[in-house]
Amino acid sequence: MIKVFELGKSFDTRVVVRKLSFQAADGAITGLLGSNGAGKTTTLRMICGVLKPDSGSISIDDVAGEPLDRQRRFGALLDHTGIYSRLTVRENLIYFGRLRGMAPESLTERVRQVLSVLGLESIADRRTAGFSQGERMKTALGRAILHSPQNLLLDEPTNGLDIPTVRSLRDLLKRLRDAGICVVFSSHLLDDVRALCDKVVVISSGSLIAEGSAQDLCGQTGTASLEEAFMKLTCSPEAAQC
Amino acid sequence: MLNQPLVIAQKEIMDGLRDTRSVISSLMFALMGPLVVGLVSLSPAIRGVGVSPSPLVGLMSVFTLVAAFAGGMNVAMDTIAGERERRSLLPLLLNPIDRRDVVLGKWLAVSLFAIAGLAFNLVGFSVVFLTSGMHANAPWPLLMLAMALGVFPLALLAASIQLLLSTACRSVKEAQTYLSMLVLLPMGVGMFLVFFPAARRAWFSFLPLVGQQLHLQRLMDGRDVPVLESIALGCLTLALATLVMLVSSNRLGRDEIIYGN
Repeated sequence: MIKVFELGKSFDTRVVVRKLSFQAADGAITGLLGSNGAGKTTTLRMICGVLKPDSGSISIDDVAGEPLDRQRRFGALLDHTGIYSRLTVRENLIYFGRLRGMAPESLTERVRQVLSVLGLESIADRRTAGFSQGERMKTALGRAILHSPQNLLLDEPTNGLDIPTVRSLRDLLKRLRDAGICVVFSSHLLDDVRALCDKVVVISSGSLIAEGSAQDLCGQTGTASLEEAFMKLTCSPEAAQC
Repeated sequence: MLNQPLVIAQKEIMDGLRDTRSVISSLMFALMGPLVVGLVSLSPAIRGVGVSPSPLVGLMSVFTLVAAFAGGMNVAMDTIAGERERRSLLPLLLNPIDRRDVVLGKWLAVSLFAIAGLAFNLVGFSVVFLTSGMHANAPWPLLMLAMALGVFPLALLAASIQLLLSTACRSVKEAQTYLSMLVLLPMGVGMFLVFFPAARRAWFSFLPLVGQQLHLQRLMDGRDVPVLESIALGCLTLALATLVMLVSSNRLGRDEIIYGN
């Protein structure tokens, strides 16, 4: 469970996130939907403790406190290019498992499971230099779920992926949701949001514009599709986006 | 308590050793001094009876100080600026690790490479001593041991300064510019002290880098280096290295590491 309350962040004089509040429940996929530059990535980075909010509060599983306390409670995939190219897939996973304090025996077994779940067994002992975007993403996703976190944060995870990889990622996220995990992901792709999200948080210019299920948003805006609802919401006078 | 820094150090060492090109260039940097001194020692002017090799032996100290700075340079560049460039620093910082532990782990790895560079340099000079017939004013095994002990803290300081510069850079190319300049620093200080001995002051012996250079010269001249003075210099050098690492940790916790310039 992730709770964000009146979060604010500026870079120099540019306000990127303003008084943003929302909750993401366990056993549900919550999508942060917004145009490019809406503040989705900055919000996720603040939740993850790598950017300091100017105002507001964040709690994960009802633990607020220091970023390190929150970081023990989630796995995150904020940038799937960030894997070590001179290490193999297995070595990448083992490194992050050891950093998380996993015991060697359970780590070996868990790495084997994750490689199996993500279909990475055949390339597990290859160095990741030269990997395709999909292989890199899967390796990074493995890194995020390795320690079986209760909360999973993903920033535009389907960017640049081919259709089979997108489908397998969506299936994995649904399985994690069904296992009771709180999944939060940001996207500007309506297909992802429609296919996955139990709840959508629409952000424009760093502010919350609307939240609810896709059907709720259509109902609120009197539109027949999520795309129309999104356009109507982000082009409203409050959003001042269009 | 040291588990996370050691895990980071182990990974960085493995990663660094697999970067074959960087390992070779570090090795060449370390052996450059012995090679140059070895070649010059073949000169009839140096080999001739009654001609003192002391200027050459004096230059050795400069090359040794350079080796202490050059050994860890590539790893320092790669381990923070390189990680920023390849965008693998963010995934690392998403883990529940204190920034001081991140810096400590990386510093351990860079220090190991710096010490290895220093060791290769001294082994190279030992070979030059053995094969060229050059002589210093002290027995060479003792001289090499004293040089190793004296320059060891400087290699640790060099590693911390290199990491700080790497933290301030956003790409390997940018880091390379500054770290290459840093390698010239001991060369400049060394040359200055070799050619302008009159400029020396007593307190110079307690200044990191300058102090090590002066101690090396005294060793090579066959003069004693006061042990307490040497220990004090070592402690001051390590204290400065710790301070620099704390500054790096602070920088690593700032928003600019993830966002902006």
